[in-house]
Amino acid sequence: MNARVDDNVVSRSLAQIGECGLFLLKVLAAIPRSGRYARETVRQLWFVGAMSLTIIMTCGLFVGMVLGLQLYHVLSIFGGTAATGTVVALSIYRELGPVVTALLFAGRAGTAVTAEIGLMRATDQIAAMELMAVDPLAYVAAPRFLAGLIAMPLLCCVFCALGIFGGHLVGVSWLGIDNGTFWSNMTDTVEVWQDIVNGVIWKSLAFGAVVALIAVFQGYTAPPTSEGVAYATTRTVVASSIAILALDFVLTAFLM
Amino acid sequence: MSQRKSYAVGTGLFIVLGFAALGYLATQTSSVANRHHGATYTVDAKFENIGQLKERAPVKIAGVRVGEVASIALAKGAPVADVKLAIDKRYADIPVDSVATVFTSGLLGDQYVGIEYGHARQYIADGGKLGLTRSSQPLEEMLGKFFGAGGGADAIGGSYDVTARFSNVGTLSAGSPVKMAGVAIGRVLSVQAEPGKLDALVTLAIDNRYNQIPDDSSAAVFTSGLIGSQYVAIQPGGSPDMLKNGDEMILTQSAMQLEDLIGKFLVNGSGSGDKKDSGSSATPAGKH
Repeated sequence: MNARVDDNVVSRSLAQIGECGLFLLKVLAAIPRSGRYARETVRQLWFVGAMSLTIIMTCGLFVGMVLGLQLYHVLSIFGGTAATGTVVALSIYRELGPVVTALLFAGRAGTAVTAEIGLMRATDQIAAMELMAVDPLAYVAAPRFLAGLIAMPLLCCVFCALGIFGGHLVGVSWLGIDNGTFWSNMTDTVEVWQDIVNGVIWKSLAFGAVVALIAVFQGYTAPPTSEGVAYATTRTVVASSIAILALDFVLTAFLM
Repeated sequence: MSQRKSYAVGTGLFIVLGFAALGYLATQTSSVANRHHGATYTVDAKFENIGQLKERAPVKIAGVRVGEVASIALAKGAPVADVKLAIDKRYADIPVDSVATVFTSGLLGDQYVGIEYGHARQYIADGGKLGLTRSSQPLEEMLGKFFGAGGGADAIGGSYDVTARFSNVGTLSAGSPVKMAGVAIGRVLSVQAEPGKLDALVTLAIDNRYNQIPDDSSAAVFTSGLIGSQYVAIQPGGSPDMLKNGDEMILTQSAMQLEDLIGKFLVNGSGSGDKKDSGSSATPAGKH
């Protein structure tokens, strides 16, 4: 990126993707070396995971509630309100849970990681680490990547659970679907392997890896100016969102 | 130090919460919740037609779930389905002359096996057999007894046009199939209202291969299935003359509304509202 300036948009974005791929290899290679900084990984996990809980839970609740409300009204046309629980659960597990969690995660945690690393570079902290023989890939990049990888599936599970609760709240408590019908239709249809492992776990792991990689990469390669950090933060959100939605299609085609 | 401890605790809480949510999703909202691992015993039942019955479908007695369908296979040497039912050991006192039936929950719901108790003093044992079974009654068959039958559409070569007048065509539209004996023999070309005669003029394009239709045949507007699309059924008459291009079919029967039909069978048409099978509780006590 700082090696040469290309005017061509295509070759510039190709170069970005290529650098990102190489960066992924470097981070993966640095993961074993980051073992001694386990505490830093835990701190990052706290920052990107535990601190994101509030927004994830709130959004999960509202997504579930609005799904319950919409589905109840549409399904009542066909006399099928009993299927509300099923459809809420399936749509949250298979699509909305992983995708919305990943988008929120990119906005909440990815931007913060990018800005933090970008400022570290701008204020020469990373250069200082190198001088002190501390590998910045192992100390800065790898813990944040690992934290994103671990936090995403957990956040997604919380999101899904709150979504089901929201759907139950609207469907059963407010709109009067029978409680037993709601749960039994859901448990009849949802398969552990197909929906929860393939839908929730694998997808959110993949999204977590992608968002964390993009966030760390953009921060790590940001131009060391305040403008550069601002652009890098924006690019994190844009690139993550596109990558999540594109990857979602591919993963759905493979996993379902 | 306290700063470090607080985030460690927070992270731990976060991880525990995440895994708790995963455990909740996997065990409470998925099919695992249905699988209770109590001891079961296996009972054999053979059905001529199991319809949409699937493995792990519930087995019910008096509406109470007592087990599930363990396996479904085609019996050797006969076109009957061999269904193995895994029934909870707690319900070990099922008389040997009980009847197993494939039921549908609701009109469009899933199918399950219902067992009605017999009167024998002997109880069915592990690996035993339910000799008396009743097969699934496909809704289409039941309705087909009242109405015409459904069926797939056919490719069409050349065709000839006949017209028919109906006082009510329901939701019939251009492109709907025309069937005779359940076989698609043509398409509806157009449906037009005739203001002068206050009825609907329907033009049917019938495949040239089917040119042996007596000209006193009757045309009726039927519905395929309960909520299916509507089609024109032709019931052949006995005239020696055949329908030709441009003829009009005189005998027609208009679309019947399902609501009308059901109203004729059921006297208590006023909706009771509660459609769930609340057969097990005599008083709706919990509804307040």
